[in-house]
Amino acid sequence: MAMRGLSMQPNLLRENAALCLQAKQEFAANGLPAAKNEAWIYTRLQALTLNPANAGEEAQADEAGVLSFSAGWLQTGGDNLPASVTLTEMGDDAILGEFAAHLPEDHFLGSLSLGHATGAYLIEIAANAAIETPLQLVFEGGEEGQSSHPLIFIKCGAGASCQLAEIHSGTTSLSAPVMVIDAGAGAKIDHVKLQAEDSQASHLALTVFAVAQTADINSFTAAIGAKLGRHETHAHLNGEHIEMALSSLYLGRAEQHQDITTRMLHHMPNCTSNQVIRGVLDDSAKGVFQGKVLVARDAQKTDGQQMSRALLLSRKAEADAKPELEIYADDVVCSHGATVGELDETHLFYMMSRGISEDDAKNMLIQAFLIDALEQVRHEALADILSHAVHDWMAEGL
Amino acid sequence: MNLLEIKNLKAKIGDKEILHGIDLTINRGEVHAIMGPNGSGKSTLSYVLSGRDGYEVTDGEILLDGESVLDMEADERARAGMFLAFQYPVELPGVGGMSFLRAAVNARLREKGEDEVDQLAFVKMVRAKAKALGVDDEMLKRAVNVGFSGGEKKRYEILQMALLEPTMAVLDETDSGLDVDALRIVSEGVNALRGEARGMLVITHYQRLLSHIVPDYVHILAGGRIIKSGDKDLALEVENNGYAGLIDAA
Repeated sequence: MAMRGLSMQPNLLRENAALCLQAKQEFAANGLPAAKNEAWIYTRLQALTLNPANAGEEAQADEAGVLSFSAGWLQTGGDNLPASVTLTEMGDDAILGEFAAHLPEDHFLGSLSLGHATGAYLIEIAANAAIETPLQLVFEGGEEGQSSHPLIFIKCGAGASCQLAEIHSGTTSLSAPVMVIDAGAGAKIDHVKLQAEDSQASHLALTVFAVAQTADINSFTAAIGAKLGRHETHAHLNGEHIEMALSSLYLGRAEQHQDITTRMLHHMPNCTSNQVIRGVLDDSAKGVFQGKVLVARDAQKTDGQQMSRALLLSRKAEADAKPELEIYADDVVCSHGATVGELDETHLFYMMSRGISEDDAKNMLIQAFLIDALEQVRHEALADILSHAVHDWMAEGL
Repeated sequence: MNLLEIKNLKAKIGDKEILHGIDLTINRGEVHAIMGPNGSGKSTLSYVLSGRDGYEVTDGEILLDGESVLDMEADERARAGMFLAFQYPVELPGVGGMSFLRAAVNARLREKGEDEVDQLAFVKMVRAKAKALGVDDEMLKRAVNVGFSGGEKKRYEILQMALLEPTMAVLDETDSGLDVDALRIVSEGVNALRGEARGMLVITHYQRLLSHIVPDYVHILAGGRIIKSGDKDLALEVENNGYAGLIDAA
């Protein structure tokens, strides 16, 4: 392990750091996204509970590789991390400035959580390190009504490889993490995010990937919990020969609203990006997929693929899809597609004619529908985390 | 007791009546064939028997082992012993063949009050039965019917029948899309399942299947009614003279 400057009575960034104060002013001036704001057209925000928590008590160290957060504050010292991983608190404007520079300008989610920051941490993985144990960032809610705004900056050094699992649960009000993952040249990162918040929670997340040449990123988000979930991910492909997979699944029941928004930004030539999105919506749940693939003029030989499919299990469920290609280069292979459908009556009848009950048949067909997405997760242990969560969701009944 | 008793069965799809009153009784151990021209109601009959949504019975009765199946869903009928081998078996992308077969077999076992079969024993059981039908391991590993040829799909249907051991098996146009060799393999598979445990209803347009699966009784279905019944020689008569003469005579 290695730990620098991690105190349990941290400097409250939101009251001291110039960037945070500025973001808070921005946030106050702009308010919630307006009805005409194109990026929020399918996801309307009501009033948010903004009550950022203060740091809590230090808890016992977790098992190897696990970092536990409560209400946006790290609870353990991080001395259970591998030697090539360094955990630091982002306590000054310099490192915070580097972090914030990766965020999109004038972005609602960025100013929301910079302006109300809870804990802010830098996790550095040394160049060429090969981390065998997945790093698990486990976020739990704090007291009822508290909001969490953790700022997480992960720098994966050149040639390093690591696995990251981000697990969010137990929030009763608002969880709004902002994460930047900076992948050095040739880095190999497997990342999964499981959002399994409480049924009344709002989860508003902004994740930015800044990817250098020849890096290989496999990222997957499973949005299962919360009443309202927005997972906005921007991936900047800043070098050549990058492989970037950014896939997701979302599940909704009752009045849940799940929003997956991605921006895949091909700035350089010869990169490949792939996005497989699957959603299953029951009752009056609503799902949104907004995905833009932008190919800059210099980004020749780009291969950008994106496919979104939603399955509606109820007449009242709704899926909105807005796939977009914005291409300025002339020698690229890009495609996108979006479908919305129901379970196929022929499939159901065939299975039932074999004695399989309607519920079991539906479950098997839903799992079959999701498998295309889940198969995108290439790291087995990370895939298991998501499969279990999906299985639990199914077991809760149709 | 009769195994299957169909009495004055009338059924419609939407507003259109397709079956205009069918009477048919099948006992254990018997193989009946229903022959008929296109549009005579053959496939409708198979769907009505197996309980497909959208096929509405407006009159009459279907009794399986003396119990009406009309209020039973397709899955309940299957667990009660009804089986339909599909004319066009359905591809289920993403649904693994083995988990599908095991779910079906366990559902039937639970209904009979027997223990479910564990995975290892199940794999052994499937492999043994699959081998006889020329269904190889590679096919078993794939998603249900996905990427199967026409002949493979039909063999897979018969494999399911062999695993589920139904009491009443309905085979809808099982010969369609089969070449001579596949027809022989499928027919041998069906013949191996003949016996006192079950009755069979073989639905076909052509006589050629019936020279492999020789029926005890042959019925001609035309215009939603059975217009003539006889023994296997009736099938030959159709082969030689076509349906037109029979329909005109009726």
